[in-house]
Amino acid sequence: MHVLEVKNLVKTFNGLRAVDDVSFIIPEGSVFGLIGRNGAGKTTTIRMMMNIYLPDSGEVLLQGAKAGQDFKDKVGYLPEERGLYKKMKVLETLLFFAELKGKTGKSVEKKALEYLERFQLADRKNSKLEDLSKGNQQKVQFIITILHDPEFIILDEPFTGLDPINTNLLKEIILELKKQGKVIIFSTHLMDFAERMCDHITMIDKGKLILNGSLSDIKSRYEQRNVSINYLGDVSFLKSNPMIEKIVEYGNSSSIKVREPQQVQQLLKILVDNNIIVTKFAVNEISLQEIFVELAGNNNINVNSAEVKNV
Amino acid sequence: MFNKRTLSIIKRELREKVLSRSFIFMTLLIPVIMFGSLGLQMVLINYDSNSNASLQVTCESSQLAVAVGSEFAKLPQVIDGNFKITYNFMLENDFEKMLPLLKKDLLNGKLTGVLFIPNSALIDKKINYYSKNPNNALLFNKFRSLINSALINLHFSEKQLSEKEISYAGKGVDFNGFRISNDKNIKAEGIGNQVVSFLFTFLLYISLLLSGTMMMRSVVLEKNNKIVEVLLSSVNSKELMTGKIVGTSITGVAQMAVWLLPLIMVISSSLFVLPKDFTIDISLSQVAFVLFNFLIGLITFLGLFATVGAIFDNDQDAQSGIWPIMLLVMIPFFIGITLVNNPENTIGIIASMMPFASIIVMPARMTLVDIPFWQFALAVFVNLATLIIIFPLAGKIYRVGILMSGKKPKWSEVIRWLKYKY
Repeated sequence: MHVLEVKNLVKTFNGLRAVDDVSFIIPEGSVFGLIGRNGAGKTTTIRMMMNIYLPDSGEVLLQGAKAGQDFKDKVGYLPEERGLYKKMKVLETLLFFAELKGKTGKSVEKKALEYLERFQLADRKNSKLEDLSKGNQQKVQFIITILHDPEFIILDEPFTGLDPINTNLLKEIILELKKQGKVIIFSTHLMDFAERMCDHITMIDKGKLILNGSLSDIKSRYEQRNVSINYLGDVSFLKSNPMIEKIVEYGNSSSIKVREPQQVQQLLKILVDNNIIVTKFAVNEISLQEIFVELAGNNNINVNSAEVKNV
Repeated sequence: MFNKRTLSIIKRELREKVLSRSFIFMTLLIPVIMFGSLGLQMVLINYDSNSNASLQVTCESSQLAVAVGSEFAKLPQVIDGNFKITYNFMLENDFEKMLPLLKKDLLNGKLTGVLFIPNSALIDKKINYYSKNPNNALLFNKFRSLINSALINLHFSEKQLSEKEISYAGKGVDFNGFRISNDKNIKAEGIGNQVVSFLFTFLLYISLLLSGTMMMRSVVLEKNNKIVEVLLSSVNSKELMTGKIVGTSITGVAQMAVWLLPLIMVISSSLFVLPKDFTIDISLSQVAFVLFNFLIGLITFLGLFATVGAIFDNDQDAQSGIWPIMLLVMIPFFIGITLVNNPENTIGIIASMMPFASIIVMPARMTLVDIPFWQFALAVFVNLATLIIIFPLAGKIYRVGILMSGKKPKWSEVIRWLKYKY
């Protein structure tokens, strides 16, 4: 069952279509990745989902009904552009933002203190936010996102500007929330990360939806048929094999392309059966990044590998 | 528009503002500055009048010297011995010869000044004063009436007039103002109401500026520190703006009430007795009107200040973009303070019922003259209508503005925002 549905959203700024007829479905209990490069329209889409922007046309449905304030109350949103009142105290800040979500009283305060304890901020509960380190401010920001026990968690580029420790912390929280059955929606330009964390993907480019579906479906659709091998022996017999589409020999290494993805295993068997000593057999699994390049027809994607490494 | 979320915002605004050190400081400081500056002026005048001066008074005849001397002897500074005055008499020719000799003493400060009173002064009242600082108004003001009465006494002494007649001749004209109103009694008017009129003008002006700037900075801060999107994930922009404005309005009106507290106490109890000239003739309901009219105006102005705050993303740009709104506060202020000269001038009457201006001008005017009820009603109605017209527009610009960042928008772009579907 899908809990959240985005239907034909369109948003135009100064004649530029920032989001152009985007539709997707977010299934229950999924970790959903909204991916695309910077400026593709991810944040605009999320802002329309959050009812921060009104769409020019299209709608967002929560369990079949138009999403409004009731949706806002159920969401924990960590915007890409995030900040806090510097002069407010930590606990005061947490309680204020929980109050805006309609959660007040002792139980929230208790929960806030528990989170502070867990994030090693318990002793700073009465410090002003401006006196906290940047990393600790980020922790407070996470707590705000999840303190009111939301059913949906929307994280817009959650890892930009996070230090490695907080990146791990956030990852831990995401996994934990996933186990609790919450719907988690990410927007990110980090394809590697999306590939590792998400089970559903929607890719947008220049405001348009270019790919949509579960990660396993997408992967099988774009499954790789390229194999590179290092070996000792003669592999010329492969040229006449019907399952081989293409083979390029470089002496004791070859690059082979099979006709169907499932033929990769057969290829390995044939090699062994023909007494070839295989020293390396690598199936080049296609990455989300490559799929994206193939679809968007542009390899200028800003993927900073150092950024990904920490994830 | 009003709900639990708005209430949470209001509470946060109140906590942040009312409990802030600067708010408490300003609330207490403004009256201190106002009365302090009056007090300081008194101290300065007093200080000056007590400072030492040594004068030489030269008259052309001994009668003149005696007459002037007996008048000068009445000066407190002369009695204290702070003013040292020497008298002599000589003819103008001799005085002119002596003047170069006095020059040294005048230049090194041994003598403050030399006053020469010729006999002709008994006809044309013209006298000469020689000093390093010949434009010392403070000194002239002390001596002018004394010399005048000395001359009058001398002038009429040969004419066999009674002392009563002489003292009549020496008097200036004294205006007693009576205010005609719908009241049964015709009351003598002191300067009390003029002071209150100025007080209203000044306090309303200061408060609009303080609250407005505070509001603008708070919006810029939320935008600049990127708090706004976190807020908007829970509330909508209307709730946010309403909450902020209501919070700040409560703060502003409370502050105004504190400032007006001395006035309210004076007019509502008989414990405080003011000197006759300073009696204040305004009613509690008029003070209530001031507060009510101010509340409506404040909400309107805060909407405008918030909007300007939302357009810019840093304080400097916002400060330079606020001038159109500033004019709306400053022009009424100037009309308000000049109203004392003639509260019934056309500009004043119109301004006291104009949008924005009436917030400052009406209270100033109503303390000086009686105002028919319809004019109060019209002022309030115009203010409410302005509020109703301004708010949706301000809200629209605010909604678009708070999520805009990057380059400073042009006014034409801001106008275009009004057409956005947000």
